[in-house]
Amino acid sequence: MSDVVPLPRELLQRVAAEVRSAAWFAALGDPLTEGDRADAAAYIQALGLGALAVASARDWPEAERILKSPAASTAWWDREEALRRGLLATLEQRYPERVLWTALTEFTTEAGDLVHGKAAAAAARMGGAAPASVHVASGAAAQAAYQFALARLAQDAASPFESKFRLFAAGRWPLGVAGSRLVLF
Amino acid sequence: MSEPIVVKTVEELKSAPEEYREAVAKLVISHAVNELYGAQVFDEPAIAYAPTPYAKWLTCRVAMEEYGHHVRFKQLGQQMGIPEARMMPGGAKKPLSIFEFPLKTWEEFVAIKLLADLAEILQVEDLLHCTFHPLRNLARATMPEERFHAQFGEDFTAELVKTPEGKARLQAAVDEYFPYLPSFFGGSKSKNNEIFRKWHIKQRTNDEMRQDFMKRATEVAAKHGLTLPEVQQAA
Repeated sequence: MSDVVPLPRELLQRVAAEVRSAAWFAALGDPLTEGDRADAAAYIQALGLGALAVASARDWPEAERILKSPAASTAWWDREEALRRGLLATLEQRYPERVLWTALTEFTTEAGDLVHGKAAAAAARMGGAAPASVHVASGAAAQAAYQFALARLAQDAASPFESKFRLFAAGRWPLGVAGSRLVLF
Repeated sequence: MSEPIVVKTVEELKSAPEEYREAVAKLVISHAVNELYGAQVFDEPAIAYAPTPYAKWLTCRVAMEEYGHHVRFKQLGQQMGIPEARMMPGGAKKPLSIFEFPLKTWEEFVAIKLLADLAEILQVEDLLHCTFHPLRNLARATMPEERFHAQFGEDFTAELVKTPEGKARLQAAVDEYFPYLPSFFGGSKSKNNEIFRKWHIKQRTNDEMRQDFMKRATEVAAKHGLTLPEVQQAA
């Protein structure tokens, strides 16, 4: 007897609607709000990397310097990847694998096209971005949308991918951990 | 040569000659399958090898675009009535030999973007004047992203060759992967290519494309102080 159940397409559609209505990259460079700090604190706690301060990047060149630094730790990235793989393994047990992969691929393709345009608009508005950075930003945002979809499908409300998505939805771009700080753009 | 026809919509394709419909279907299946193979075998695994968050997210975007190309070719195929299973790995379409070698390093990925995506650009360029307009339009939509992927390869090549160690690792990756690329373009006496050109679905012979690729690959490699290994060009 199989425990595999049909993919909840209505849930995925609601996630897609949240992705469409998010304020992608609208608040880059703005002063951090209490809400931003609260979402950042939730993300730090859920990620389980210990105490981190929250810092901000003011413009695209500063964000690029942080992201390109060879000294930057990727422990936060590795932690996210481990969590992502865990969620995906859970979902592959629960839903038909090919149906799941096809749905996630189509979801991420749609999200990727949307956020690419939003990143390009933000870069044009603010100036100073390297051409490739629009692709970097849209890669980060589409990855966050994909991680968010995994968390929702797995019904993991405590996942860091929930708070990470809320940061993006509020117009921020979490750039990752540099030293003892989580940096938001 | 037959009088060229122009097929402006998927609906019009239904009344096109059978040979034309089959030829278009073969191309759509080939692109759908190979885009997915490429994303699964090279682009997605490369994210883990990328050295910085900047490179990782850039690679994420490239992987998503490659998956997106698969999705778009598959959607066109579905509109044409091609069963989804024929446009997925594991179907009747045999993968290209290059997909049988799993990615092991960041330098290998950079070499693949630099050279294999150049081969992909040539394949898409040949569809820019395709008489089946939905496929022509898809090629035009895909082309800027393919050019960006090749530029990605060039940009990271320029970074790697700044140090002797990086250059040596990249040259080793070029030496390993480049020999698989000329066969991307198919056999010199390909019956399929003859049919594609007969109906102006594609424009050039496989050998013409292969020669153009060898010229452009040699130029881009030389620009960064790299050499290409000797390969047998006729497939």
